[in-house]
Amino acid sequence: MNMQIDSEYRPDAVVVGGGIAGLQSALDLADQGLKVLIVERQPSIGGHMIALSKVYPTLDCASCITTPKMSAAAHHENITILTNTEVKAIKSADGMHRVELLQKPTYVNFDKCIGCRQCEYACDSEYPDPFERGLGTVRAIAVPFTNAIPQKAILDAEHCGTCGTCARVCPTDAIEYDQQPRSLTIRTDAVIVASGFLLNDIHLKPQYNAHRNKNIIDSLTLERLLAPHGPYGRVLRPSDGKIPTSVAFVQCAGSRDESIGVPYCSRVCCMYAIKQAMLLSGSLPLADITIYYMDIRAFGKGYEQFYQNAKAMGINFARGKVARIEPVSSGDLSLHVESTEDALNPLQEHRHDLVVLAQGMIPGWNPTVDTPVTCASDGFVETPMLTAPTITNAPGIFVAGAAAGPKDIVDTIAEAGAAAMQVSQYLFQKRSPVLVG
Amino acid sequence: MARTVDVSLLRKIKQHGACETLDVSACFNCGNCTAVCPLAQDSTGFPRRMIRMAQVGMEPELLSSEDLWRCYACGECTETCPREADPAEFMAAARSYAIARYDFTGLARLAGSSTWGSLLVFALFSVLFSLLLINKENPGAQLPVFDFLPGWWIHAIGVVLFSIVGLSAVCGLGSMFFRFWIERRREGVNLRWSAFPGAVVSAITEAILHRRFRECDSEGNPTPHSTEPIYRQIWFIHATVMGGFLAMLLATSLDFLLKPIGSPATPLYPMRLLGAIGGIVCLYGLSLVLLRRLKAKDVPWRKSSFADWFFPVLLAATVLTGLVTEIVVYLPMNTVGHDIFFVHVVLAMDLVALFPLSKFAHAFYRTLALVLFSWRHAPAAQSVVADAQL
Repeated sequence: MNMQIDSEYRPDAVVVGGGIAGLQSALDLADQGLKVLIVERQPSIGGHMIALSKVYPTLDCASCITTPKMSAAAHHENITILTNTEVKAIKSADGMHRVELLQKPTYVNFDKCIGCRQCEYACDSEYPDPFERGLGTVRAIAVPFTNAIPQKAILDAEHCGTCGTCARVCPTDAIEYDQQPRSLTIRTDAVIVASGFLLNDIHLKPQYNAHRNKNIIDSLTLERLLAPHGPYGRVLRPSDGKIPTSVAFVQCAGSRDESIGVPYCSRVCCMYAIKQAMLLSGSLPLADITIYYMDIRAFGKGYEQFYQNAKAMGINFARGKVARIEPVSSGDLSLHVESTEDALNPLQEHRHDLVVLAQGMIPGWNPTVDTPVTCASDGFVETPMLTAPTITNAPGIFVAGAAAGPKDIVDTIAEAGAAAMQVSQYLFQKRSPVLVG
Repeated sequence: MARTVDVSLLRKIKQHGACETLDVSACFNCGNCTAVCPLAQDSTGFPRRMIRMAQVGMEPELLSSEDLWRCYACGECTETCPREADPAEFMAAARSYAIARYDFTGLARLAGSSTWGSLLVFALFSVLFSLLLINKENPGAQLPVFDFLPGWWIHAIGVVLFSIVGLSAVCGLGSMFFRFWIERRREGVNLRWSAFPGAVVSAITEAILHRRFRECDSEGNPTPHSTEPIYRQIWFIHATVMGGFLAMLLATSLDFLLKPIGSPATPLYPMRLLGAIGGIVCLYGLSLVLLRRLKAKDVPWRKSSFADWFFPVLLAATVLTGLVTEIVVYLPMNTVGHDIFFVHVVLAMDLVALFPLSKFAHAFYRTLALVLFSWRHAPAAQSVVADAQL
């Protein structure tokens, strides 16, 4: 894996984003002999998927699917990966794209670092672990997480105590406190935008009072609690470490709601809530689990059966949108909901000790980036052709995965393959116009 | 009972709404509005059930529902509605529609659903009352209009009009009560007459003390209004308008009963003082109401139909002319006093005549709804039976 490049490097395609969509399209292109550069904003590739516990509807281990892809990309001779790097602009002219990048300083020389973690063990400063969604802590200099790629230490300048210990213990003298941000412009023929999604904030709806109680968490946080290598190693609620006895899933907490500016359906929340409920009933066999929903959208292959299985397992499904969440005594929460199933007693209040908000998917692609790619009114990359969902309004720039709209892993991988196919076809036509004509 | 879906009901209710953009058909019945409502704390379900009734055309159920009137339009449902269906505005429109349906003269429908209708009714009444007054004040005046419109004729029209309006009010209340009675009986609710007086007492207590209204601004409920000082909260504004109005009504009535008509009175004469204070208090509330409607920032004030403007403006104009009259009668050069007093009397008569037709009608429909609600939920007689069985 080549990680230090300069402006002379000229890949056939640049993939923006190293999540499952970016990895899949990069691998599909590289396997055809094309040189690909993956640009990742985070310290590790793998995206959201590497942080998930299991995937629906097969309940396969998410790491077991993602890690081989990450590893394959990292070791592929045709793939170059730049982590901690942001795309600042894409400028297109005469069929060429100039991708302007900004490499953020890691304060560690990746050519020297061997990932031995001596610095991490010696470091005194800790801060809430971003990979664990703020649960648990991580050292100011550390390898981002156990199966991160690259396995290189990164120093977080904001939380560093500047004591100099890491530089003293490092066996290869890899620590470089004077690193500066580095601008880099890469010329390429094609770009795939695979910038994925962000989860919107649990504080968006003031009626949910997420700022008043730590036991209101979002779904990605629950993924970490459920992951075998998660922050606590088991499911405990964040406020006091109690084993939850009654867990509520609040569906459409961050989607299908005009009042928070996300009118669309995020498509994955119904299914992952069902999956998480199933996993929870495995790790907490005595807990009551209720999913508050407006309607269950189990649209994919095998999804409806998955939903029926969850019902058969004893997971409660209560129809009604949760309107208010009030903190009550001993860290518990009271949910106010109008049941549209119980005509005699519609207004209900239910007490739970852990509440999971199904936040919505919002675009990870930053529209302030100077680029010819246009976004639709929902903020996701515009794909004008119904018959070619990976083609954007900008020639030579393609899109894959959740960057184009909320999408689950299955659809994302299919689309990533399609985007790679579009790119290779585009390059083929561009370079051999005679053959095509 | 077989039921036919009637999609026209929603359209008819929309005509009474503050603007054409009221998009209550966007509602997907998630129940957020009901669950977020600070007042819907019992087995009833508003606004969602009301919207559902309107969507499928369950008019008898909608018009017989006292829940329609138990909403005080705090706007929390509209603030949080995932579909921007504006449940608060729907409730207001449905109340206006209900007033129109309870009223048998058809004037309320005209006044509630169109601006020109309102103005027409208002102009008609004003002209009539003016003529009535001119006629009464100057029996010997040689105005050409009385040549072909004799005074006794105008007077008779006035009497008939007030009778119709009064009858309309009584019939409107009767209609509401009757619909409630029929529907609750059909639902099998046990209504006992022995519980009725108690329900009346509790409704009047609530109307005066604004206890439930205050819930709209309560601490636990993060509305934009709850952080405001008490004198700016909606329930307090309503209380000042209502209290001021009642004080003026009392002052006028007592004046009429106790004081010989036309006899002079000092400014500190108790009835006159009560009226003046009532007027000032009422104007305070009304000015806040009108100011907020002008600003149109927070939800209950954001959209205003003509009827929303008409009633407070009319009331404010009446109070203002009354207060000005109070002042100008003491001025040495009193030439405009008569004119202003004349306008005041015409406006006051308009106010009374439009009582059952305008938003003013909420005063008795809402009170009756409170009575019906308390009556329906009065402790059942079964508890006595249960005790006896023990």
